[in-house]
Amino acid sequence: MISIQNVSKHYGTFQVLTDCSTEVNKGEVIVVCGPSGSGKSTLIKCVNGLEPFQSGTITVDGVSVGDPKTNLSKLRSRVGMVFQHFELFPHMSITDNLTIAQVKVLGRSKDEATDKGLKLLDRVGLKAHAAKFPGQLSGGQQQRVAIARALAMDPICMLFDEPTSALDPEMINEVLDVMVELAQEGMTMMCVTHEMGFARKVANRIVFMDQGQIVEDDAKDAFFGNPRSERARQFLAKILTH
Amino acid sequence: MYEFDWSSIPGALPFLWEGMKVSLEITACAVLFGIAWGTLLAMARLAAIKPLTWLAAGYVNLFRAIPLVMVLLWFFLIVPQVLRGVFNLSATTDVRLASALVGFALFEAAYYSEIIRAGIQSVPKGQVAAAAALGMTYAQAMRLVVLPQAFRNMVPLLLTQAIVLFQDTSLVYVSALADFFGVAYKVGDRDGRLVELLLFAGAVYFLICFAASQAVRHYQKKLNAHGAH
Ligand SMILES: Nc1ncnc2c1ncn2[C@@H]1O[C@H](COP(=O)(O)OP(=O)(O)OP(=O)(O)O)[C@@H](O)[C@H]1O
Ligand SMILES: [Mg+2]
Repeated sequence: MISIQNVSKHYGTFQVLTDCSTEVNKGEVIVVCGPSGSGKSTLIKCVNGLEPFQSGTITVDGVSVGDPKTNLSKLRSRVGMVFQHFELFPHMSITDNLTIAQVKVLGRSKDEATDKGLKLLDRVGLKAHAAKFPGQLSGGQQQRVAIARALAMDPICMLFDEPTSALDPEMINEVLDVMVELAQEGMTMMCVTHEMGFARKVANRIVFMDQGQIVEDDAKDAFFGNPRSERARQFLAKILTH
Repeated sequence: MYEFDWSSIPGALPFLWEGMKVSLEITACAVLFGIAWGTLLAMARLAAIKPLTWLAAGYVNLFRAIPLVMVLLWFFLIVPQVLRGVFNLSATTDVRLASALVGFALFEAAYYSEIIRAGIQSVPKGQVAAAAALGMTYAQAMRLVVLPQAFRNMVPLLLTQAIVLFQDTSLVYVSALADFFGVAYKVGDRDGRLVELLLFAGAVYFLICFAASQAVRHYQKKLNAHGAH
């Protein structure tokens, strides 16, 4: 579904990504982790072309992201993305947040879009909040709406960039529960997260990054059982003591 | 000691009212045009295409570095001559007024574009990323996500600029347009009561602008109280 091959990216002389390669097959859940500044966000943003990259190739469902001929907007409309800071549109009601792209990008009718949006809102347990504005919801609720908004586009895969790291601890689980359910239903997911409980439960593989490189790309059990690199070991030790 | 004589004002009120209507019309047109053209300039300045950015920046810096009264005179005296030459207009077509008004609007747009640019930049980058991630084109992201938020943040500044612009309209008297200030001047000149008429006109400008800025301040307070979400 997602294939990343020898991707490198630099800002001026600063190398953010160095020769990154990995694969996400249909129905797989890949967790990407690593220290701050290691390039996780940059890598995941390259997948839907939010960040350009200078060399290597990324294909999503057979479409090359880096190819100048690719219609990036169209590709992005088929790839869901969830951000650390939710990024709901604050000037629109929750319903409008859920429907705007369905109507303007996919060309669905207002009724069809509302129907779909409210169904998904119900699924993330927030049906009662349809008429509210994002500012009236808690962080956890906003992130669940953001997931519903992405799902409303019927994505072929989902990208998550630290979806729980801006949340108060008591709200993390309500978001993770939605993500676990999604994973169990067979959604293809690439998740940047440090929630190792989530990773243990649903991930197929763990990608560990450090200084712009993919240092480990292991099956879940291998990674948690016995990571090969010293850096991954240190990282795990640090994260598990928190 | 100068003897004030206000007696010529009551009779002149209908003319002054006509003049005020002209001033308000010019203000409304220039505000609308200034915001529309200013928005395009602001977007050009923030665009990724370098030549576009330079052109817009050049335009804004040029107009902000020239006194308004000069722009008005150029557009009143010189541009019509050029237009006449280029379009072969007959000598009876008077484009001087229209030209002065266009100059006025072009000038104000430079100021509006700076306000709007700041407004656009006040919208977090993540909003554009989220819009793009949903498949919106750059134009859709701007129109549906960025500009509505930018304008909501900018309303007080845009209104304040409109008040300044209303005062600036008094300068169009150099183009012989019968705006409020122009009428007051003419009446005062005619009756030999220039001091009274100019004091009166000043008081009217003060009252309108002061009341309007109080209203803007009030609105801004309300916005700040609500805006924390
Ligand atoms: N626009 C930019 N210009 C220059 N450097 C940048 C830019 N964006 C990111 N970087 C740098 O690239 C590196 C990788 O950033 P990235 O956001 O991908 O890291 P991350 O792994 O997601 O970190 P975090 O866990 O803090 O989110 C960082 O060192 C960052 O400072
Ligand atoms: Mg990051």
